[in-house]
Amino acid sequence: MLNIKNLTISNAEKNLFSDLSLALNPGEVVTLTGVSGSGKSTLLNWVIGDLDPSFSATGELWLNQVRCDTLPVEARRIGLLFQDDLLFPHLSVGQNLAFALPARFRDGKARRQRVEQTLSNIGLDGFHDRDPATLSGGQRARVSLMRTLLAEPLALLLDEPFSKLDAVLRTQFRAFVFEQIEHQNIPTLLVTHDPADVPQGGRVIEISDWQHIHV
Amino acid sequence: MLIFGPVLPGLYWAVNPALDPAVWQSLWFDGQWAQALRSTLVSSVIGTVLACGMAALLATLHYPGQLWMSLQRRLPLLLSVPHAAFALGLFFLIAPSGWLARAVAHFAQWTSPPDWVTVQDPYGLSLALALAIKESWFLLWVLAAVLGEQAVARQMVMGRSLGYSRTQTWRLVLWPQLLPRLKWPVMAVFAYGLSVVDMAIILGPGTPPTLAVLIWRWLTDPDPALQARGSAASLILLTVLLACALAVRGLAWLMKLHRPYPTGQRKPAASRRWPRVRTPLFLVGYAVVAVLLLWSVAQEWFFPALLPAAVSLETWQQADGAPFWTTLWLAVAASLLCLPAVLVWLEWGPKRLNALLYLPLIVPALPLVAGQYAALLHVQWDGTAVALVWSHLLWVLPYMVLTLIGPYRAFDLRLMTSARTLGYSPWKACLAVKWPVLLRPILATLALGFAVSVAQYLPTLFAGGGRFTTVTTEAVALSAGGNRRVLAVQALLQIALPMAAFGLAAVATHWLGRHRKGLR
Repeated sequence: MLNIKNLTISNAEKNLFSDLSLALNPGEVVTLTGVSGSGKSTLLNWVIGDLDPSFSATGELWLNQVRCDTLPVEARRIGLLFQDDLLFPHLSVGQNLAFALPARFRDGKARRQRVEQTLSNIGLDGFHDRDPATLSGGQRARVSLMRTLLAEPLALLLDEPFSKLDAVLRTQFRAFVFEQIEHQNIPTLLVTHDPADVPQGGRVIEISDWQHIHV
Repeated sequence: MLIFGPVLPGLYWAVNPALDPAVWQSLWFDGQWAQALRSTLVSSVIGTVLACGMAALLATLHYPGQLWMSLQRRLPLLLSVPHAAFALGLFFLIAPSGWLARAVAHFAQWTSPPDWVTVQDPYGLSLALALAIKESWFLLWVLAAVLGEQAVARQMVMGRSLGYSRTQTWRLVLWPQLLPRLKWPVMAVFAYGLSVVDMAIILGPGTPPTLAVLIWRWLTDPDPALQARGSAASLILLTVLLACALAVRGLAWLMKLHRPYPTGQRKPAASRRWPRVRTPLFLVGYAVVAVLLLWSVAQEWFFPALLPAAVSLETWQQADGAPFWTTLWLAVAASLLCLPAVLVWLEWGPKRLNALLYLPLIVPALPLVAGQYAALLHVQWDGTAVALVWSHLLWVLPYMVLTLIGPYRAFDLRLMTSARTLGYSPWKACLAVKWPVLLRPILATLALGFAVSVAQYLPTLFAGGGRFTTVTTEAVALSAGGNRRVLAVQALLQIALPMAAFGLAAVATHWLGRHRKGLR
């Protein structure tokens, strides 16, 4: 369960949200839409724990009965996916994944094996030592998602993750993402401005409606 | 071309005498060079390492966060303090009779200055300290520019969202990516430390001085044999730079080779609150200006007293204004002359040759100045105002290009395309659209060019042929004499000039953009 309770975010000029509450069930994808500048990213930043200092926020964030809004980014266990894949350019594809893999997999060999297997699961056999810069857009997107998931997050935030892919890739990658989320059974908040991104039967929240109701 | 062209044959003329083996022999038997090289190496290596360390520590501790933002806002002010003025202020702070000793004397009941060597020490440690503090501001400024990029900022969030603490993300994700990008700025810092003369005269050892000062003395000696020795020694400086650059290069390569496979070990953020390192670093900057101000108005100020017994504006009223005006017209001429060159270069210049343009920043200044001087001697223009302005351009131009290139690249080219489709020629589109839109960075660049010119020491001495005195050369010349009041006034004038330029640029942009929010 991901729970936002009574969230108010404001800056010097105005209130972006006031007294907003939202609950996400495990495995559920809630879509957040709205025009640019409506505060979608600000909301995401607050959930991650990286709110711009020019904003101030009150309210609580709970993840599986643990209060998160008082924790630093690294302790929240909330995974993140941007529209840019943000693979670390100084590491190989495999090292990028190993970077996310928990230390539980101790021995170097076991780690590498686990990474190789993940790569093979997403159709990238033998890509371990490749430079991320040599991958295609679709391949990079898949590696990037797997990196986020390998860290075993308890919730997921997707910030327009499909917007930089072309139409065909987009459909494929979308299906891939939702399949993985279902597999992991974690609550997911998706920010997008494309109605086609919304998973079937998923809840959609238009951010301006929300602001009308709650302001 | 006009700026760079003549330096090449000049370099040839300057280096030519050094090709004689007898010159090297005389250098070898001179007896000063070994100790001079040691203090040069100590001051430049320790200075560079400390500067990098402090900048890295500050960034790791404070980025991202509000402290970093406030640090970033203060940097331009500190950066505009010229090297020579900073060295003088630091001298007033840490000398045995300086402010620090006075503060200690207060508690320790000293009645006379301690007998310690805190400045002009034989190893060049005080010079290293001055370089470290001054250059750490520069490196922080470079870091701030890189960290301002969205991709870099997001990598930090990404690393943390994968469970790594801020410090760990810095170490594992950001530093490996940023270090290669910082190699040129660090190289510039090191080259500066190797060939710095003005700061070395003020804070460096006396007999023998650092190698750079020694070279400068030899080069300006009327005896051709000594001049040749100076050329030979300046080749040593270049070799040292190359050797150190190669060594660092090798080290970086080794580190890359031994990058371990990610273990996934997450370390929780240290709960211990780090001391706020940025405060002392900035405090030095403010204290330097404060102590200069106090000395400039002091009348009687004997040792243990923390404040002067009496103050007056007498020193200011009696101050020699000539260096100030010379500096002013020189800096105005140099920066204004450079501006069109910078704009034309950025718009139509060959993009690949930018690296060449930065060469004066990463090569020790001494051989270059010697080359300029040799070229001027050849056409017998040395000691003229034109020559003086020209000699400054070699450093003003690259710094201005370096400052403007970022905003210039970030400019939305679609604006130009729109103008072109409306029938404007490329030239007219630049005049009517691009440059007016970039007014703010252009004015800031102009101010920076002004500041760079104000701080020049070596070119002024050489190309000016001793006929022109700027606040910088005056301050360094006076530093040997010991009238601290007069010295403080010249140092303050040296600080005031660039600050006024930056202030003027800020006011001008604000005023010109008063009806255009997008320009501010």
